[in-house]
Amino acid sequence: MSILTIEQKQVSDQVVLFVSGRMDAENAPEFEAKCTACIAEGATSLVVDLGELAYVSSMGLRSFLSVAKTLQGKGGALRICRLNGLVKQVFQITGLIQSFPIYESVESALTGG
Amino acid sequence: MTSATQSQTMAAKSASLHAAMEFVRKGALEAKLPEARLDELDLVIEEVFMNVCRYAYPEGEQGTVTLTFSIPAPGELSVEVADQGVEFDPLTASRAPSTLNLESLPIGGWGLVLVKALASSLTYRRDSGWNRLTFRIRCG
Repeated sequence: MSILTIEQKQVSDQVVLFVSGRMDAENAPEFEAKCTACIAEGATSLVVDLGELAYVSSMGLRSFLSVAKTLQGKGGALRICRLNGLVKQVFQITGLIQSFPIYESVESALTGG
Repeated sequence: MTSATQSQTMAAKSASLHAAMEFVRKGALEAKLPEARLDELDLVIEEVFMNVCRYAYPEGEQGTVTLTFSIPAPGELSVEVADQGVEFDPLTASRAPSTLNLESLPIGGWGLVLVKALASSLTYRRDSGWNRLTFRIRCG
């Protein structure tokens, strides 16, 4: 019921994380740990594809915000792309859709355009 | 036709979260909540249930949560989440963040913002040592 899969890909000099499944109170720390590991390896910005993520709770939002603040402190950003369904609804309800850089595709997130 | 009320008591710990979701989904089935909205119901349960797990009982004390669902009217699901922890009215304690600027945003406090938006009603009462938070979901 709460399977979260995170696939990491390197696209030129940028890290893209493809997140799928469900991100809830039990597994949101896995996402944060993955991002922390990427940052420790030198990433200052991360692209996160949420197109296949079906569910996110406030614990997931907490992780996104925590990672985004860390990256902002390094002059970078957490770029979120392909929001849809309940996950998009959650970002809309909380107003966080206006707080993160949101993109329609991985390609546009990579170029920041 | 409405069904009888059903209750289940479980440990107030995150390991019970999925059991809580499964139990309330039985009520959703009876209330005929469309399958596409089950995740929405899970989200409300997660936020309310985890709030109890984190804040109701002092650290080290193993408390319980009692979930009760009923169908008060056709197409409506009512769920009560009750605990015997410290008195806490989340409706008065929660506040919407006043900024959208990432730098100044709090990382937490979003759960009740979501619950308030997704539930059609949300009430709290303190009753003889029990916190009783009830939300309703319109299934139509």
